[in-house]
Amino acid sequence: MFVINCPYCGERDQQEFKAGGEAHIERPKQPTELSDDEWAEYLFMRKNIKGVQFERWNHAHGCRKWFNMVRDTSNDEIKLVYKMGEKPPLE
Amino acid sequence: MLNYNSILKDEINHNGLSIKEISPIMKLNLRGKKREFFTSVGKNLNMILPTEANTSSSSDKLTSIWLSPDEWMIFSNEGVQKDSNIYELEEKLYNSISKTNLGAVTDVTDQLVLLELKGENIFELFASGSPFNFNEFKDKKGSTTQTLLNNIDVIIHHKDQNLVNLFVRRSFSEHLCSWINDSASRL
Repeated sequence: MFVINCPYCGERDQQEFKAGGEAHIERPKQPTELSDDEWAEYLFMRKNIKGVQFERWNHAHGCRKWFNMVRDTSNDEIKLVYKMGEKPPLE
Repeated sequence: MLNYNSILKDEINHNGLSIKEISPIMKLNLRGKKREFFTSVGKNLNMILPTEANTSSSSDKLTSIWLSPDEWMIFSNEGVQKDSNIYELEEKLYNSISKTNLGAVTDVTDQLVLLELKGENIFELFASGSPFNFNEFKDKKGSTTQTLLNNIDVIIHHKDQNLVNLFVRRSFSEHLCSWINDSASRL
């Protein structure tokens, strides 16, 4: 159990949130021009790092807003929380 | 409000804590971001929607609750007519907001059940089934939150000292009430 600081509601328990996978994956501008391998790369392949990872989270049982989080997956330490649309911080 | 059966046949009373259903209460959900949305709502309701997180504002007839940065719930402080599902206020808001594409107005009167909790140990009951930290919440009149209670989504509104409004989806209300009944008996 850990506490997440929702950028809209403040500190809430992890139980109220849902993880939404890796953040900042850009959809290809011309999907029709991609090969099957390239499309699969965009659609399915994720980094799944042990260490600092950029993630999307949803405050599912609160304000229902999506936001981004920088989290260390090895010890669950949350480095930073920022709103959707904001630029990711450089490491 | 449609003709639903009351979810609580009798008031729950345990250890100085009483829980009863308040019905029929009009409840509307408002969504919007534009500045014109706020001015239009302000004109129709004669009140300003709260923009600070986890707060509410009240007038004589209505209370509005902050749900998210672009979502609010307003409900009538007193009962409305039971035999019809048409509200003058909803029509006014619908015409000035939904029809002009400023935002959305949804009638959630029948979707949510309002329970009124009274007593000194309300927050002890909540603590037994909610991950939310009520320390600041219980000292601040008018504060609101959306959280989980016994893993059920609820909206909690701190109306007055030892008086709390709790909104829960109708389909979950019976389950929640039986949990409240059980949990309150052990406080």
